[in-house]
Amino acid sequence: MNETTHRSIAAVSALLLLALVVVWAIESQRAQPVGLTPTLTGEVEYCQTCHVGLPEISPSHPVDAFGCVVCHGGERLALEADLAHSTMRGGSNPSDLSVVEQSCGGSECHSGSAADANDHIQRVMTSIQATYAGAIANIRYTFGAQADLVAHQGIFAVMDDQITTTTGVPALEAFDPASDANPYIHQFGDNCLGCHLSAEPPEGEAFARLTGCAACHTPDINRFPEGQIHQLTTAIPYTQCNTCHNRGNYDLRSMEFVERTDEPLDRLHDYYQPIAQFTQCEWTLDCIDCHTPEEAMGNGDIHSNQHEVVYTQCQTCHGTLDELPLTQTIVSEDDLALRLAFLNPVTELNVGDTILITEQGEPLWNTRVLPDGTYEMVGKATGEVFSFRPVMGTQCEQDVTEQRSYYCHECHAVER
Amino acid sequence: MNEYPRRDFLKLTSQALLAASGFLGLGGLLHYLNFSTQPQPQTRFDLGPAADFPVGSRTLLPDVPALLVHGESGFSALSLVCPHLGCTIEHSSGDGLTCPCHGSSFDADGMVQRGPAKQSLRSLRVEVTGDDQLHLFLS
Repeated sequence: MNETTHRSIAAVSALLLLALVVVWAIESQRAQPVGLTPTLTGEVEYCQTCHVGLPEISPSHPVDAFGCVVCHGGERLALEADLAHSTMRGGSNPSDLSVVEQSCGGSECHSGSAADANDHIQRVMTSIQATYAGAIANIRYTFGAQADLVAHQGIFAVMDDQITTTTGVPALEAFDPASDANPYIHQFGDNCLGCHLSAEPPEGEAFARLTGCAACHTPDINRFPEGQIHQLTTAIPYTQCNTCHNRGNYDLRSMEFVERTDEPLDRLHDYYQPIAQFTQCEWTLDCIDCHTPEEAMGNGDIHSNQHEVVYTQCQTCHGTLDELPLTQTIVSEDDLALRLAFLNPVTELNVGDTILITEQGEPLWNTRVLPDGTYEMVGKATGEVFSFRPVMGTQCEQDVTEQRSYYCHECHAVER
Repeated sequence: MNEYPRRDFLKLTSQALLAASGFLGLGGLLHYLNFSTQPQPQTRFDLGPAADFPVGSRTLLPDVPALLVHGESGFSALSLVCPHLGCTIEHSSGDGLTCPCHGSSFDADGMVQRGPAKQSLRSLRVEVTGDDQLHLFLS
């Protein structure tokens, strides 16, 4: 061999050695795989190689039982981040409504039967908060795009083949403002579609929320370090509702949403619109203490406005001069009230306890009828105990046919 | 001073580099061949002498997880994996068992008392060997 050949062999050898050293260095820095085999799937997944130390998302979804992949998707065996995340559902939020059926569905999870009260996804997908059908119907009717106020279009197309109420509609088409000739409807589409469960919120801490189920069930995301939002709860404080419901007004002249610029802290005096009136319970309780799951998440039917589903009134808890509120004594371990109370254990509810129920039969599981005929409510988000009594037998001068809140406000509104 | 021939130096260097590459490559190959896959989940548990579990005892076996019962008619065991969604069931007051995830509850025999679980707790096979050792099998 001549010298040139020796040089070439030496160079190739050096390159080979260098390549091997580089590979060895990369491999030695790679984390040791950390496997987890959840009991639900029985299939090993290596997500915890990197995602170590994340808090449990809720007592109902322990990672040892569920793992990560059954909810989040992703490549369970991959050790390289891009590959592992390549098939995740909904990015970092598997509860986004575009993927919620795959992430949270299943007959034993959240797309079970209405009889088992496990039809959460069907209810949410048809709910006013998801379809935004009320606002869309109102705007389209106002500007002549439809002849009535019945919902015909929603944020996404959706069907309901089991209508159970008189106001339910069978289906909605997807709202496409660009296909309409009216410029105001275009503007509505551009500026006013930020208040539904699929919409990203406006910028600012006061609006901060996620989408899908997590819009409500993952409250106060500002408190989490970036990338660490991992919580689901049924104890939803009023501040979470206010990320949508109390953050400004629509201006129909300019067809835009005018955001509030203040940062209210005093709930009674600063939080709400200046003209609003409240009784004590309306500003001391959390919204979910009175408003029921069916009101917030829908009742399974597609509706044309929120008034068709929001039905809780003062009389729901207080009754009228003529009638006490509806009650139910829990007689079975399988009672829905016990299941709901188990998921948010702010109060110990047992067979034999008597609670208030709504006109639709929904259990107000955080209430209790006391032996002296008065009532007790435990705040679902605070655990605070409130006592109250029925209207019957008091000096109240109500007309029993007038039960809308503004009638009660005439006497019971607090000074603001 | 003797001059080391240039050609010999290159030859020696090449051989050294190739040898080092060979050793590294061999090391990598051994590492690959020694790779251990995820072990299969344990399906048999040796519980020790049967005498350690007297008649009337109900013993939690958290590593399985299971509840070992020594009744009048002999040994039996209940899986403590909830048939609803796989959470580990806990002892509640008395002899009852409750799933901490969704509240399903079961009586002392593993029968469903409250949903959402629809199935009873799975019975596991327990064997006592000739030398009085107790073994529990998941399958």
